[in-house]
Order: sequence, then C-alpha cells, then structure tokens
Amino acid sequence: MIFTIFKKELKDTLRDRRTLIMMLVIPLLLFPIILNVFVAISSSFQEEAATKTVKIGLVGPNDNYVKEQLENLPESLGKKEIIMYKDTTAMKEDLKKDTLQFALFIPNDFKKFKDELKPAPVTVYYNATDMGMQERAESYLETIEDIAQQERYLDLDLKEEELKPLNVEYSNVASTKEMIGKLAGGILPYIFIAFGFIGCMYPAIDLFTGEKERGTIETLLTTPVARWQILFGKMGVVVLSGLLAASCALLGLFLSIEVFKIVDDPKLLEVIHEILSFKFIILLYALLFPLTVFFAGLMIPIAVYAKSFKEAQSIITPLNILVVMPAMVGFFPGIELNAITASIPVVNVVLATKELIAGTLDYGLLALSFSVMLLLAIIAVIVSFKRFDKETNVVIS
Amino acid sequence: MIKVSHLSKEFELSKKQRKELDTTDTKAVAVSDVSFECKPGRVFSLLGPNGAGKTTTLRMLSTIFKPTTGSIEIAGIDALSNPQEARKKIGFLTGSTGLYARLTPNELIKYFADLYGVPKNVCEERKQKLYDLLDMNEFQGKRIGKLSTGMKQKVSIVRTMIHDPEVIVFDEPTSGLDVITAENIIQLIRDCRTQGKTVIFSSHIMSEVDLLCDDIAIIHKGGLLFNGTMDTFRSGMQAKNLTAEFIRIVNQSKTTQT
Repeated sequence: MIFTIFKKELKDTLRDRRTLIMMLVIPLLLFPIILNVFVAISSSFQEEAATKTVKIGLVGPNDNYVKEQLENLPESLGKKEIIMYKDTTAMKEDLKKDTLQFALFIPNDFKKFKDELKPAPVTVYYNATDMGMQERAESYLETIEDIAQQERYLDLDLKEEELKPLNVEYSNVASTKEMIGKLAGGILPYIFIAFGFIGCMYPAIDLFTGEKERGTIETLLTTPVARWQILFGKMGVVVLSGLLAASCALLGLFLSIEVFKIVDDPKLLEVIHEILSFKFIILLYALLFPLTVFFAGLMIPIAVYAKSFKEAQSIITPLNILVVMPAMVGFFPGIELNAITASIPVVNVVLATKELIAGTLDYGLLALSFSVMLLLAIIAVIVSFKRFDKETNVVIS
Repeated sequence: MIKVSHLSKEFELSKKQRKELDTTDTKAVAVSDVSFECKPGRVFSLLGPNGAGKTTTLRMLSTIFKPTTGSIEIAGIDALSNPQEARKKIGFLTGSTGLYARLTPNELIKYFADLYGVPKNVCEERKQKLYDLLDMNEFQGKRIGKLSTGMKQKVSIVRTMIHDPEVIVFDEPTSGLDVITAENIIQLIRDCRTQGKTVIFSSHIMSEVDLLCDDIAIIHKGGLLFNGTMDTFRSGMQAKNLTAEFIRIVNQSKTTQT
C-alpha cells in the first residue's frame, strides 16, 4: 500500500510544473548558468584589463627616474600612457572623473635622495572605486624599486646574497585535495542542504496542505489504508524530491566542470575527479538521506497543521533560513568536525562532507554525525505521524 | 446495515477557538448520544440545519473521526475496533469532494481500486460498466483538472463505487451542483437502493429527502429530534409540508431548550 501511495504521489508531483521547476530545472541549470556567467565575466574583465591602456598621471620633473623606468617597463605588464601634470589639483580632478587610473607625485629633489642613497618619496594617488588600479600601481612600483635596488647594489659594489641573512622556503604539506576540501569543501554540502530543503518544501506542502485544501484527503482517509502507510507513502516522495533536487544541483555542478569546462587546470581537474569517487558519493548520500528525512519530518507537521498553501509556505520559508544558516559554517575555515560539532544537526553534515572531500574523515565522527541525524530523522517521523494522526489536523472542518 | 448506538463526539477547543466562541468551556459537543439504524435496500436521510452535527456523524461512520463514546457497526463489523475492515465496506461521497486534478479518471480509479484491493480484472469490468452507464468513455484519459463539474462528479461516483461497497455514505452530495449534475447523484442513490445497499445521506434540501428517503432522522445541535420511517414522519406532520414541519421541529426544540 505504501508503494501504491508513493507511486501515485510521485506521478502527481512530477506533473506539477511548480514543483518540477523547483526540484529539477532550477538545481540542474543554476550552476552551469552561474558558473558560465561568472567565467565569461571574469575572462572578459581579464581581457579588458590586458588590452586597456592605463592612463597614469605624473607630477614631477620631466626627466625623472620613475618616469623613465615606467616608460621602459615591458608591455606584458599592461599597456600604459603617461600624462604629465603641473600640479596635483588637476590630476586629482581627473582621477575622480576616472580619466586617469592612478597618478604619481615625484618631488623635484627626487634625484638628490637617490644620489644620497636615501629612500626617495613617491606618492601614489588612486581612486579606490576603480577596482584593481592600486594593485596595478603597486606592481609597477615594485618592479621599478627592484631595478633601482639592483642599481644601488652595483653602485655600492655589494652582492645581493650578502645582504640576505635568511633564505626562507615555504613547503606546503597539504595535498591539493585537502586544500580543496578544507577551503572550498563547504560549498558542496551547502548546495546539497539548500537544494535538499527547497526540494522537500513544495512536495511537502502540496501533498499534505494541498490535499487538505483541495478536499481530497477526506476521501483518502476513508480507504482501508492505515494512516501511517499514507504518511510513509507521501513522506517517501517528499524525501525523494529533496534528494533529487540536491542530486540535480550536484549534476549541474558536474556538467559545468565536465561539459562546459569551467575548470581548465588539468591538475585541479584530476583532483576533482579523485574526490568524486564512488565511495565518496555513497558516504555523502549516507549523510544526506537522514538529513532529508529530517527536513521532511520538520515540514510535514507544519504542512499538516496549515490550512492553506500560503500559510504553510509562510511558516516553512523562514524555517529555510534557520536550517540553511548553520550550513554556512562550512565556509569558515578553522571550524573542524569534533565530538561537539558532530552532535549539531546540519553543521555535522557540512563538516563531515568537508572532511570527506579532503580525505581526512574520522570514521568515528562520521558514525556519530550519522547517528545524530538518524535519531533526529526518527523523532521527526514520529512527530509527523502524531500530527497526521490527529483528526482535527487532517480535515478542514 | 449501519448500527449506531449512543454516539457522541466532543472536540477540544483551542484558546483561539474559546475566544472566538466567547466561552470558557474546554470542549465543544458536536454530537450527543445519537442512536439509529440504517437497513439494507433503504435510504436513510440525516436531516439538519448547518452545524447540526451531520458531517461529524458521517465522518465518524466513515472512520475519519473517532467517537468520544458510543459504538458503530458497519455491515456487521465493529468500526471502532476494526476501522480498516469497516472502510472496505464503505463508499464515501460528498458534494465538495476534491479529486486529483493532475490525474486522469482512469489513473484515479485505478489508484482507489488498488487502495481497496480490488483485483485488476474486476476493477476493469466494474469501471467499464460504470463508464458506459455514466457516459464517461470520452473523457476517461483527460486530466481531471480540465473536466467540467458534471464530469468530475461522475468520476467521483465511479471512485465511490469501484470497490462495490455495501454501505454508501453521502454527505450533502448535491450541494453546489447544478440540477443536471445533481440528477446523476439522485439516480445513483436510487440504483444503490435497488441493489440492496445501505444508503445514508445528509442533506438540507427537502425536495431530495422527499424524493428518496425511506427513513429519516432530524439532528439539531448534536442530538436527534426525530428518528423513524418517512411514512411515520409524514403521518405525524403538524405543518403543511416537509420544509415547514422540519422548521417547526427545529424551532420547537429551541423553545424546549430555553
């Protein structure tokens, strides 16, 4: 009987355009669209930055050292045009108007400082709203400073290595897989949780409140099927919808990587392939299944209690924020899976998935996270059943 | 056969409901000590004004609600101790029954036949007979959401009859329907009587009661004011017609209560 109800509810749900869009279409298309747009915009910015001629204002003597070095910088560091100004007032105006990208003030006695082997002052004017221009000025000036330093070593007949007491080398012991897991691994569970919740939401409201609102539940309750069987059949569809939505989001992400070639670094691609192993997917779903049952169990009592689709939606939507917020924990580096975090629902799934991606998962903590989620899922099912069994909640009188 | 004995139903009142009803009572009595019998091959009408307790009584008969006290026997089965078995014997139809708009009549009928455990070949045979009778063959594959009210009501009839129930419960089955659509229901009730089924229906449309009833019970404020055959009711009438007599009985009970 549970399967008969499940089959019918699934058919009914898959014929609901609104649920279908929220459950399959949006999760599937969101990532390819967002990532493609992001890549297209960022590459167009990079292209623009490479081809754009940066206008640099300069106040100072006509034959100053900085100007000379600036002119000699290779075009690979970006095209540039130097515009001389007599004073800083007009220069600042042009910076504000965005006619200039940044400007340099070189004092008239710049050469004296240089000759006396003192640090020569250079003031950089920039408009912080013009993104990336401070960095461009820094990169030009660092190059010029390097050249000036080499010249000074030569003048003083010094060897660079004699002035360098330490030769520090940094060696990263973390694998790329671990770094992806710890730094970017929070995104994956977040996607799953957010879409899993949204995926459960519409079917839960439609199959419980909707059925009450449309007056079909009364007929269903007069059939010789136990209420728990009706609940389980319907709940099965809600859980499946949540898992489908989350899987579609993952599939969308996978398509973005494999079909639309968002990641072009072969080394990174290899690591991503290594992460997405069969074992990883099985363990991920082992965590997600009780989580989705828990979501369904949270929503069903509300959907059973609510008298209209609107009422159910207005209660469940804020709940979304409450549930998805803890999932953001995954974005903060430093929060690790331990006995305490493994006992906090949602947070445990996020952190365990992160560890799973990084390949550093402690199976004891995974078992604890799974047990906590399973326990909550069971409680949620019991609460749902109690609510569904309450006669005043299933029939609008 | 339906046997109802000393049936009562109380609902707990929430704080909000107590405020709305301006009462300090924690419970509201919807049905109080109601007893009656509906016999096979006869149509029993439960008559009462809005809020009298008709729907609550019928919901208890169809096991959607559990009675606070009393007993219900449906076709020889104790509906309280064995509700699932009792439900197999009941067909339930209301005028406001919704149908799954995204399914076709064929899919809906199959779904309910499966829920009632009707074998596939029996279901097909019964379905075809009912489709022919109600002239439904043309729209059997269309989505229910796209059907007219009359067509939907025909689907509801097939859904109610697909498991060939012994007892049929009609809760204001013609409310909100046009005369032509309502006629389908009237005909169905007549057919059920002819087939020897037990029929109970609630209504406040006197012409329907006059047309169909063999036995009648008048319910008001949860209690029965009259319970007997239609012939007894007619012979004891003090007013000119059924409507006037119904109003007289209800008003008399109000005077007695005050």
